[in-house]
Amino acid sequence: MTNLRSDLIGFKSLVEREIIRFTSVFKQTIFPPIISSFLFISVFGLFLGKGIENIQGVSYLTFLVPGLMMMYLIEGSYLNTSTSLFVARWAGHIQEILVTPLSYFEMVAAMLIGGLARSVAEAFGIYLVSLLFTSFPIVHPWAVFYFAILVSLSFSSIGMIIGLLAEEWEHLSILTTFVITPLVYFGGVFHSIDMIPPSLQFLMYLNPTFYMMNGMRYGMLGILDANLLLSALVVFFFFISLFSVTVYMFKTGYKLKK
Amino acid sequence: MNAIQISKLSKFYGKTQALHEISLAVPAGDFFGFLGPNGAGKTTTIHAMTGLANFQGGDIKVFGNDVIHDYRKTRALIGFVPQEFNFDPYLSAEQILVFEAGYFGLPKKIAKARAAELLEEFELSGHRHLDYRKLSGGMKRRLLIARGLIHQPKVLILDEPTAGVDLELRLKLWDFLKRLNEEGVTIFLTTHYIEEAERLCKRIGVIHHGRMIALDTTAALIDQLGSHVITLRLDRSFEVVPEPILRFGVELVKQGGNMIRFRKDDERISDLFKTIHAQGIGITGIETEKTSLEEIFLEMTKST
Repeated sequence: MTNLRSDLIGFKSLVEREIIRFTSVFKQTIFPPIISSFLFISVFGLFLGKGIENIQGVSYLTFLVPGLMMMYLIEGSYLNTSTSLFVARWAGHIQEILVTPLSYFEMVAAMLIGGLARSVAEAFGIYLVSLLFTSFPIVHPWAVFYFAILVSLSFSSIGMIIGLLAEEWEHLSILTTFVITPLVYFGGVFHSIDMIPPSLQFLMYLNPTFYMMNGMRYGMLGILDANLLLSALVVFFFFISLFSVTVYMFKTGYKLKK
Repeated sequence: MNAIQISKLSKFYGKTQALHEISLAVPAGDFFGFLGPNGAGKTTTIHAMTGLANFQGGDIKVFGNDVIHDYRKTRALIGFVPQEFNFDPYLSAEQILVFEAGYFGLPKKIAKARAAELLEEFELSGHRHLDYRKLSGGMKRRLLIARGLIHQPKVLILDEPTAGVDLELRLKLWDFLKRLNEEGVTIFLTTHYIEEAERLCKRIGVIHHGRMIALDTTAALIDQLGSHVITLRLDRSFEVVPEPILRFGVELVKQGGNMIRFRKDDERISDLFKTIHAQGIGITGIETEKTSLEEIFLEMTKST
């Protein structure tokens, strides 16, 4: 057996384990965001949205769908890796992986793919639910892939970093409650930048999730709130920096090795 | 060739030095016992070998490969059986083995066959689909060992594998480990059961306060550091040992009794027998007792 082949088997096994972890409890992982999105689309999109003018030629209900998909891509990927890694440290089975010949890069990459798989499954579920209310052609599929994958991997990296830093369960939810949710809500899930006062618009430009929402809406609907290249670059560097930090933490054994 | 070569290994926890330039070598095919009281540094040394602990000084080589620079090679050669149960709670016994095999690069078909073989060997076949949390303590312990062996390692490192295990299972595990060693697997064992080390290990290292204080074959260690105690049954009883005999360091087993004992000293033993005879005392029985490894171990690690 070649080294490359055995490396790939090792990597694939860890990816598979990460996927089994969230699919075995799919009622707790995949269903809740899909149900929440159904409610968001019904209440905000269908009922309240009737009173909101079209945004760049798109109905409010349709405008909402990419925002919700991005919101749950962010939350799903963060929750998956942070929980997986924290539980692995807490129960000690992270040692099962640390004593194997997997490289640190492979360990991190496999866990990130677990986060990607879960968040993409959630986002796809939300897209399917949205078809009950509205239908629209996906204008730039490449942009959907680019932003969905890089954003998911970025927040999966954040999840791993917090999974390493956390000492207690509640540390995992602190970041969600005080950082991720506010950033996502103010990043434009439910509104366009034109819907907030001009004096406060600069806050959205400082928010990285704004560029993520923007990229996703461009991919799905072809509309833009900010420059596409800038959005693509922000997301790219966001991912590269977070991924590098995660691999570095694994290599040095931060909170993993005694 | 040495399976394990540790040179001047030092490890600090903050400002506390846990390991002080430890050096030891374990030849390929050896059954090595690593003994020491709680907190002596046994688990820390093992963790440094297996990649679970960083260390600040020295180096560790496994079959000539450095555990830091060639960590992928060394980890493929080592099977590790930790002291604590550290299974993935989402998996069944069989899945635990198959996934672990996968991490070591075994294709699924081979992994499943190997898992089935080990589940059979450790009498876990009937429980292979059970969530590991539903297994008994003994079953979990056997599953830990099976997991450590799933990739057929050249070196098996066991951290107190029989702690809390009943006698029957302990004896079975001893037989299994002996067989494994005879098949060529190098075994590095830490244990609290000195009898276990005495019965299984060809060589023994003793660590105390993070320092190696002994390293030799089990037999040599017992020979060098141990001694024989000889008990003589005499033809009369004594309240005190007669003065000429007392000079040989003899003591009464029980005051008013007819038995005396002394530590064997080859040079003086014939003089002692002559002296007893000169006192007109007859010897009616003789028993010899060898110091156990446990007594030697306790002597060496007496509070310092």
